[in-house]
Amino acid sequence: MGISSGPKPFLTVGVLFILLSPATGFSAPGRPRVINCRSPEKETFTCWWEPGDDGGLPTTYALYYRLEGSETIYECPDYKTAGENSCFFSKNDTSLWVDYNISVVASNDMGKSVSEPVEVDVVYIVQPNTPESVMVSVLEDNHGPYLRVDWEKPQSADTRSGWITLVYQLRVKQAKDETWEEYDAGMQKYYNVFSPHSGKEYMVQVRCKPDHGFWSEWTTPVYIQMPDYMPKVRSMWIMVAVISAFLILLFAWTMNVKQNSVKHCLLPPVPGPKIQGFDQQLLKNGKSEEMFNALVIPGFPPTSTYEDLLVEYLEVYDDEKRELVLNEKNLIEGSMKSKSTSSDNDSGRGSCDSRTLLMEKCVDESGTEQELSQYGEASWASSDSEGRDNPASPGLEDGKVQMWPSVFSSPQSHNFQQQHPGGLRASHHSVPEISCVSPQVQTCCGQQDQLEGFQFSKPGLYRYAQMYSMDTIECKHVAQEPQSQSQSQSQSAEYVEVQTVNQENVLLVTPLSNPEGPNPELSDFSGEDYSKVRDVTSDNVLLLQRDLSVSQFVGDYCQDQIGQVDPCFLQQQQQEQTCKLNAHLHHPASALQEDMRLAGNGYVDTTMMMS
Amino acid sequence: MLEMSKTVSWLTLLCVSVTVRGAPAPICPHGHPGCQAISLADLFDRVIQHSSRMHGLSSDLHSEFEQYFIPNKIQIGTRRCHTSNIVTPNGKENATKLAEEELTEVILKLLMAWGEPLAQFHESMTQHADYNIYSSNKALEMSDMVYELRNGVQKVAEKMQLLGIISNLLNGQDFLEGLDAVDSSEIFSVDYPNLLHCFRRDSDKIQSYLKILKCRILPENGC
Repeated sequence: MGISSGPKPFLTVGVLFILLSPATGFSAPGRPRVINCRSPEKETFTCWWEPGDDGGLPTTYALYYRLEGSETIYECPDYKTAGENSCFFSKNDTSLWVDYNISVVASNDMGKSVSEPVEVDVVYIVQPNTPESVMVSVLEDNHGPYLRVDWEKPQSADTRSGWITLVYQLRVKQAKDETWEEYDAGMQKYYNVFSPHSGKEYMVQVRCKPDHGFWSEWTTPVYIQMPDYMPKVRSMWIMVAVISAFLILLFAWTMNVKQNSVKHCLLPPVPGPKIQGFDQQLLKNGKSEEMFNALVIPGFPPTSTYEDLLVEYLEVYDDEKRELVLNEKNLIEGSMKSKSTSSDNDSGRGSCDSRTLLMEKCVDESGTEQELSQYGEASWASSDSEGRDNPASPGLEDGKVQMWPSVFSSPQSHNFQQQHPGGLRASHHSVPEISCVSPQVQTCCGQQDQLEGFQFSKPGLYRYAQMYSMDTIECKHVAQEPQSQSQSQSQSAEYVEVQTVNQENVLLVTPLSNPEGPNPELSDFSGEDYSKVRDVTSDNVLLLQRDLSVSQFVGDYCQDQIGQVDPCFLQQQQQEQTCKLNAHLHHPASALQEDMRLAGNGYVDTTMMMS
Repeated sequence: MLEMSKTVSWLTLLCVSVTVRGAPAPICPHGHPGCQAISLADLFDRVIQHSSRMHGLSSDLHSEFEQYFIPNKIQIGTRRCHTSNIVTPNGKENATKLAEEELTEVILKLLMAWGEPLAQFHESMTQHADYNIYSSNKALEMSDMVYELRNGVQKVAEKMQLLGIISNLLNGQDFLEGLDAVDSSEIFSVDYPNLLHCFRRDSDKIQSYLKILKCRILPENGC
């Protein structure tokens, strides 16, 4: 026990030494560390390390490497070229596609330390140098200025032999901006940056990368100043805006000045109604009664003196059972005014303008079909008031016509029928076979200068007129004769043209040949079957003009008609030709009166008959 | 008459289809009219693109497998690829010193060597359920690409021969079959990370050699 204390004192000394040595600051170096290895061109490479703690003593570092598949350890050939704590491997020392096992040893007096080994294959650590000769310029094309950036490849990289393939990237920003805009340029060595802002300063940088490897560092920035310019497009638009504003102002001012004429042009005034006596002001005032009162023509409707003279429709009978009813239309208000207005006032003229005075057959006995057609009110112009001693038979002497009150108004027609046992059957389009009494035939319509000769035979179908005034007889006459004749016959209605009215109020009419064809014959007066009113006698006799045409024989009709209508008149009008009623419609007319005046329009123009 | 024409047309169709299904004809054999020849530049571009794609796939797979396999220290030191016996230039000078024929030969050797191992690799991948489907697809594509690239490089070689750029490759078809025979005797490592490591390197070699070849023969296009 106590005699041999061999190891114990050594141990104690060693422990003491160890414990005491830190106080002196010396130690083995800390472990270095290999930072990275890089090859700029895939032909050489460099490794850098980081020294560890040196332990207070001068420490040396050594790099050793070993190739894959070999145990031979080599030391770094070049510690200088790449700087401090680096090792540069030249071309001769560099092998591609071979793993290098690299480690760094730090050693000082106190000891050594070895770094962690690093395995490196040179092809995977390629990081080229930065591109070179970066140039930026401002160019212009149609759309404005743009930046063009040109550069060169790093000199060390051998792309010519295909050993390295580099791709480039550039970034641009305004000097005062924070964020960069990056663009990939591929393998080309230029790039165009479009639409830079005018007047700004730009910075440009470029870098490159091998097909698999690391990006190079950015080049030092190149500054470029954009010149001030106005974009052509913008200036053009400003010009356009200014000019258009000027034009708009001019246009507005012109419109303002020529307000009224523009308004007139754009919104033409609505033409007012051309109604005599129509006063727009009254209408605007909103008093309709006043306005309508203003329209009232004094003296219209005709007073009761003429009421019974109004011929609504004339019925003409013949002994051949043809019973015709003449329908005449009455003019309404305007026609009463004056004949002067007849030329331009066509209101109410329609009835007279129609060449066909619809006549309808009347069948006395059959009272079923009693259609007394009352087509408006016929206004037979009568002579002026002077010639009218008999209100029932006004005549035209001086050419003035007056309105005939309609005899054939509806209530009156009922009276007809009451008085006529057989009743009157009015059917459409019945040609009146009228016995023409009066040789005086004159047209009324369209011929203002011939208005003087109108003679109404008041009961032409006047018998109607007379019926009112003289009640009975004629009607009977009328009734009887056609009764026998018309019973067996079918109702055929034919148009007749009233040609004249003789003094005895006999309506001289010319029958129409065919009711369907009145229209074509309108223009041809001579060929017409219409009866033209030639004159109106003082006795309210309508003198019909007998047609010269072959196709009509007025006289025949007239006689029949008149005979039926009013045999009295026949007797009275001996001086006038009588028409034989037995003829058919198309019997050629016998000699017309010399003084028959053929008018172009044989219709009774009631507008002419205005006093 | 109509039936005869129909029969004739059917026959011609049959003949055409049969000839089409025959042995794959080389691109534009001598004097063949109406054949649209692909230029050598286009051929080179295609094969280089193919090789680039192949290398990308190998890199992806390698990094994926490194996650699963911790590299063994021993393995690192003793890593050995089955293609190590193929002599390949390991530097720019060495590569540029080689003639076009030799370069082409090296490329073809490498491509031939990797056809079988990659097919096996893909097959074994699909058998393991825990492997990622995307990795399996990549392996399949990579394997297919090796074959396509081999065909492409052969076409390039033929074209170059046609153009007189290179003299006859060593025995043509026989040469290639000889390569096959060499490779089949190798036992391929089941160590997939190692396999992928080796293939990644070799695909990079192929790409580099092709680029050198192209820039030497056609210096204008992007070199």
